[in-house]
Amino acid sequence: MHQLQSTDPVVPSEASEPLEEARGKLGRAIVLTSGKGGVGKTTTTANLGTALALRGASVVMIDADIGLRNLDIVLGLESRVKHHLLDVLEERVEVGDALVADKHTESLFLLAAAQSREKDEVETAKMQALVTKLRERFDYVLIDSPAGIELGFRNAVAGADEAIVVCTPEVAAVRDVDRVVGLLGNRFRPQLVINRLRPQLVQKGKMLSVDDVNAILRLPLLGVIADEPEIIVTTNRGEPLALRATTPTGAAYHAIAARIAGEDVAAPMPPAARVPLFERLGSLLGGKRR
Amino acid sequence: MSARRIVVTSGKGGVGKTTTTANLGATLAKRGKRVILVDADIGLRNLDLVLGLEKRIVFDLVEVAEGRCQLRQALIKDKRFDSLSILPAAQTREKDAITAAQFAGIVEQAAEVADYVLIDSPAGIETGFRNAVAGATEAIVVTTPEVSAIRDADRVVGKIAADGKPIRLIVNRLRPEMVRSGDMLSVEDVCDVLSIELLGIVPDDEEVIDTTNRGEPIVLNESNRLRVIYDKIARRLEGELVPFTSFDNQTFFGRLLDALKAG
Repeated sequence: MHQLQSTDPVVPSEASEPLEEARGKLGRAIVLTSGKGGVGKTTTTANLGTALALRGASVVMIDADIGLRNLDIVLGLESRVKHHLLDVLEERVEVGDALVADKHTESLFLLAAAQSREKDEVETAKMQALVTKLRERFDYVLIDSPAGIELGFRNAVAGADEAIVVCTPEVAAVRDVDRVVGLLGNRFRPQLVINRLRPQLVQKGKMLSVDDVNAILRLPLLGVIADEPEIIVTTNRGEPLALRATTPTGAAYHAIAARIAGEDVAAPMPPAARVPLFERLGSLLGGKRR
Repeated sequence: MSARRIVVTSGKGGVGKTTTTANLGATLAKRGKRVILVDADIGLRNLDLVLGLEKRIVFDLVEVAEGRCQLRQALIKDKRFDSLSILPAAQTREKDAITAAQFAGIVEQAAEVADYVLIDSPAGIETGFRNAVAGATEAIVVTTPEVSAIRDADRVVGKIAADGKPIRLIVNRLRPEMVRSGDMLSVEDVCDVLSIELLGIVPDDEEVIDTTNRGEPIVLNESNRLRVIYDKIARRLEGELVPFTSFDNQTFFGRLLDALKAG
């Protein structure tokens, strides 16, 4: 596994180095998806990528949202992007030259999406081949899917062998995730991250609880992230909260990363997040509940 | 007379397109307008949920397009407003189940029996977005004061402006206290980047989460401040000159004027 030295200049050209060290076994390719937009796919990708890299893994994050890229902003790397996913897929540059080294965390890299192109310009087979190539060099390939279930989603999923679905405790988000789980099909056993839970609202009966959400979805729960204004601040600043492992949210991302890595750690859960309350939910999705 | 056909879109998902569509639609209906809301998010419909109408769906947009039913059979009348109805999206189909021309044709048909047709666009800029825009003659772009949402909105504004359709902006989920502490972009910042006409500023209100889950648009709540805000947006849409509520600071108006001049 390649580790950048702290004296290494952190510039995109350095990113080609890890590719020169082919690894024995394939890394894991995980797509983060949700159906509904704005539930936190990109924030989750940036934070889990950071947390996994801080654990010592080599990680590359692919922004699959061609035309509406944002992962570079969340990581504060927008001015360092020189080449993008389509440059690589269309063989204008080597993938190593397109990777942007993260400015905060060693062994973490970004492959940015093209901003002025369209999603239908991606060939699914080439995307699959690229992900396989990256799996040979990295422990983790995290693929940040666009919202929706159109071509961009299908291309994001094509190269992955695992899926994390991100859901907020809202009926609309739950319904969309349920639809996405169906579309993912039997190739995946998706794991669930519940994002933006507000314990005070759950307690007051004004927000779905973790149990409400998972009574419908019935997915293995990786963890629950509380809604914190800090997330907006750190996102605007381009500094994922996982960099601050001592904050409750940072610690939660590290716990989820540990669980992804196979450690026997409890799913992070904000206090009072689990009271079941909503009766309406069961009927929304065709009576799947209990 | 034919209705105004307005697409509500954003690029980024989760910024409040569906909530805006439902609340603006309900407000216009309350003001006596005949309103039809079209859910263009085929495969991931949610407008029915936000209005609490999910159990009343019989036919959907795709079935109308395929001629399997009449438009009037697929329209669902709102529980609270007689002059408000929705045309739900199909849930188990794909966005390419309908062409842009078919979509525009259905919207045109709806426009014959309404004063406003509001089209709730899916997130993104793929086929679903293109269909939603194809049916409209004007656009409302919804954004939140976040860098990523604004970048996506800018991309969408560019795409719609290319067709010459008028575009207005709603800044959604503003948290004035975060703007004051310098942790959130101000409305002025947003207007500076996007340079389109400001239609409304909607503050973040956690009650929206609950009312959405319960299927009751927040404008039904007489005591909630958002009721007044959506009413102002509806009046501006109708061409009235309505002053903006000052949320972020005292000099908001001055800064807004500067922003407009700069634009």
